[in-house]
Amino acid sequence: MTTIAPNRVRSSAGRLWREYGWAYLFILAPVLLFLVFTLYPVVSALIMSFQQYNIMNSTWIGFDNYERLFQDATFWKSMRNTVIFTVCTVPVNIIITFVLSYLIYQMKTKWQTFFKATLYLPAVASGVTISIVWLAIFDPTNVGLLNRFLEWFGLDPVIWLGQSKTALFSLILMNWLGSHGAGIILYLASMGGVPKSLYEAADIDHASGWTKFTRITWPLLKPTTLYLLVTGVITSFQVFISVYMMTQGGPNFATTTIAYLIYQTAFQFYEFGLASAQSFVLAFLIILVSVIQFKYFSSDVEY
Amino acid sequence: MARVEFRNVRKQFDDQNKQTFTAVAGSDFVINDKEFVVFVGPSGCGKTTSLRMIAGLEQQTSGDIVIGERIVNNLHPKDRDIAMVFQDYALYPHMTIRENLSFGLKNLKKPKAYIEQKVQEAASILGLDDMLERKPRELSGGQRQRVALGRAIVRDPQVFLFDEPLSNLDAKLRIQMRVELGELHKRLGATIVYVTHDQVEAMTLGERIVVMNKGVIQQVASPTELYANPRNMFVAGFIGSPAMNFIDARVEEERIRIDGAEFVLSQDAAEGLKSYNGREIILGIRPEHIYGEDFAPGVSTEHQMQAHIKVVEHLGSENLVYFRIGSRTVTAKVHPETKAYSNLSKQFIFDLNKARYFDPATEERIDW
Repeated sequence: MTTIAPNRVRSSAGRLWREYGWAYLFILAPVLLFLVFTLYPVVSALIMSFQQYNIMNSTWIGFDNYERLFQDATFWKSMRNTVIFTVCTVPVNIIITFVLSYLIYQMKTKWQTFFKATLYLPAVASGVTISIVWLAIFDPTNVGLLNRFLEWFGLDPVIWLGQSKTALFSLILMNWLGSHGAGIILYLASMGGVPKSLYEAADIDHASGWTKFTRITWPLLKPTTLYLLVTGVITSFQVFISVYMMTQGGPNFATTTIAYLIYQTAFQFYEFGLASAQSFVLAFLIILVSVIQFKYFSSDVEY
Repeated sequence: MARVEFRNVRKQFDDQNKQTFTAVAGSDFVINDKEFVVFVGPSGCGKTTSLRMIAGLEQQTSGDIVIGERIVNNLHPKDRDIAMVFQDYALYPHMTIRENLSFGLKNLKKPKAYIEQKVQEAASILGLDDMLERKPRELSGGQRQRVALGRAIVRDPQVFLFDEPLSNLDAKLRIQMRVELGELHKRLGATIVYVTHDQVEAMTLGERIVVMNKGVIQQVASPTELYANPRNMFVAGFIGSPAMNFIDARVEEERIRIDGAEFVLSQDAAEGLKSYNGREIILGIRPEHIYGEDFAPGVSTEHQMQAHIKVVEHLGSENLVYFRIGSRTVTAKVHPETKAYSNLSKQFIFDLNKARYFDPATEERIDW
C-alpha cells in the first residue's frame, strides 16, 4: 500500500508557477504573436474605418467611409467582378478536383502517387511565378500559347487581358487550369476513408455504378466538399495576386476585385480609412457566405 | 430458398512480393436447402474467403460454385440472389434506417407500396418500428446489427450470408442475438451460411459445421458429431471449451501406458489399436471425462492415476483443475464438490470409453 504525504501548504501563486510556469511561458510566445500581428491590426483597422486617417492626426468621422464606399460605383463594380469570379471558379474547380480525384483513386498505388505529386506541384510554386507563366500563355500576339492554339484552328488572335470582355474570363480560365492538388489530396483521403464494405453491400443491393456514385460516394464526401467550398469561396473573394500581376484591375475596371480595390485605395490613394471600411465589408461578406454554406451544406456523416 | 454447392473451389492470392498464397484449397461441400451451416476456424483459415466467393465479392481461382441450380461463377453479386450481413454491418451512415432497409428494393425498382410493406414487416420482426427515421449512428451496436439483418430480410434472397455478424457486440448482447438469430432462421426457413471464429457460436447456431484450417476443410458434421467424433486433432482441439486434452501414450498389447500408469483397454479399443502395438499414440480426452476419485458418480473407477494439481479455477457450477501428465498440461472439469486445491496430489479417474485416439504422425483419429 502506498501512503500519500500531505502537501506542504505554500502560497498558491508560487504553487501555480511551479506547476504551470513553463506551460504559460510556452503559450506566451504564440499569444504575443497573435496579439501583435493579428488582433492589434484588426482592431486598429476597425477603428481606422471610422476615421479620416492621417499618420499624424486622424479625425473621427463615424460611418462616412462606409457611406462613401456604398455610393462608389467602382466598389460595386469590384463587388460584381468578385462575385462573378467566385461563382465561376469555385463550383467548376470542385467538379474538376472531384473528377480528377475519382479517376486517380481507381489507379494503382504507384500511379496515384505520381499524379498526386504532379498535380500538387503548382501549389508549391508562388502565385507570382504562375502569373508570369500565364502572362506568356495569354500574350496578345501570336507568340502567346493560347493564340497559337487558336491559330491552328484558323482563328484570329485575341487580346486576352487587354479587352474588357475577355479579361475577367481569362483570369477565371487561369484559375480553372490552376492548382487542384490540395483538393485532390483531401478528396483522395476521404475516398480512402469510405469503408469498402459499403460498396460491397451496395453491389449486393443491386446498385448500379451511377447509383453507388450518387447515393454513396458523393454524400459521404460531402464534408470534404463543404470544406473545399468554404475555403474556395474565401480564397476567391480575396483574389489579388493574379489581378495585380496580370491586369492591374483593368481594362476599365473589368478585373478589379475587392481585394485589389482595397490595395489600390490604401497604397495608391493612401485612403487607409476607406480601405479599412472596404476590408470590413469584405470580411463581413465572407463570414455571411460561410455561415450560409455551413447552414445549407453541413452534414453529420459518421462512419 | 436454395442449396449451395462448392465443387473443388480454390482461391489463391498474390501477395506484395508476388508470392502465391492459397486461401482456399479445393473445397467440396453441399449446403442443403433451408440449412443453417456455420463455417468456423481460426483467423486466416479461409472461411470468410469462402463466404465472399459465394457472394461474388471474390472470384475463385478455379472450381464451380452453384446456387440453386445455377453455376454462378461469372455472375455479379447482385445477380446471385443472395443477401449478406457484414462484420461491420456496412450500414449507409447518411441514410435513415428506413432508407437503409429500402435501398436494395428501390434499386430493384419495386413498387412503393411493396417496399413499404417489406420494410414494415422486417422492422416489426426485428423490433425496429420506432427507429425507422433515425440514422445508424443514433443506434446501439445491437440495434445496428438488427438493421443489417433487416436489410437482408427485406430482399427475400435465396441464401443469407453472415460474416461474423456478432463479433462487434459485447458478450451479453452476443448471447441474446445468437438466440434471436436461431429463432429468425426457424421463422424464415432460409438457407444460411454463417462465418465465425467463435466455436460456441458455431455449436449453438449451426445445424452443420464446416471446420476449416489453413484453407482446407477439416470436417463437415453436426455439432454433436464434431464434438463426439472429431476427425483429427485440429477439430478435436478447436471444438469444445476447455479444449480436449491430448496425452502422450504408448500401446502395449492390450494396454496403454501413460506416464508410468498403465490402463487396460476395452476389447474394441485393443482390437482397433492392434496395429499400433509398441508405438506412441495420442490419447484425446475431454475435460469433463476426467473425474476426481471422490466425486465420480456412475463412472467406472478402473482407469485411475495420481497427479499433482497445479491450479484450480472455481467457476461456480464446476471447477477446472489443471495438472501435468508428462510434458502436457491436462484440464479436468470436475464437480464443484470435488476436493481440489493447488499442490494437492490426487487420484483422477479417466473415462476411457469416451476417449479418442490419434496418430501422432498424421494427427488423424484412429478409427475402428
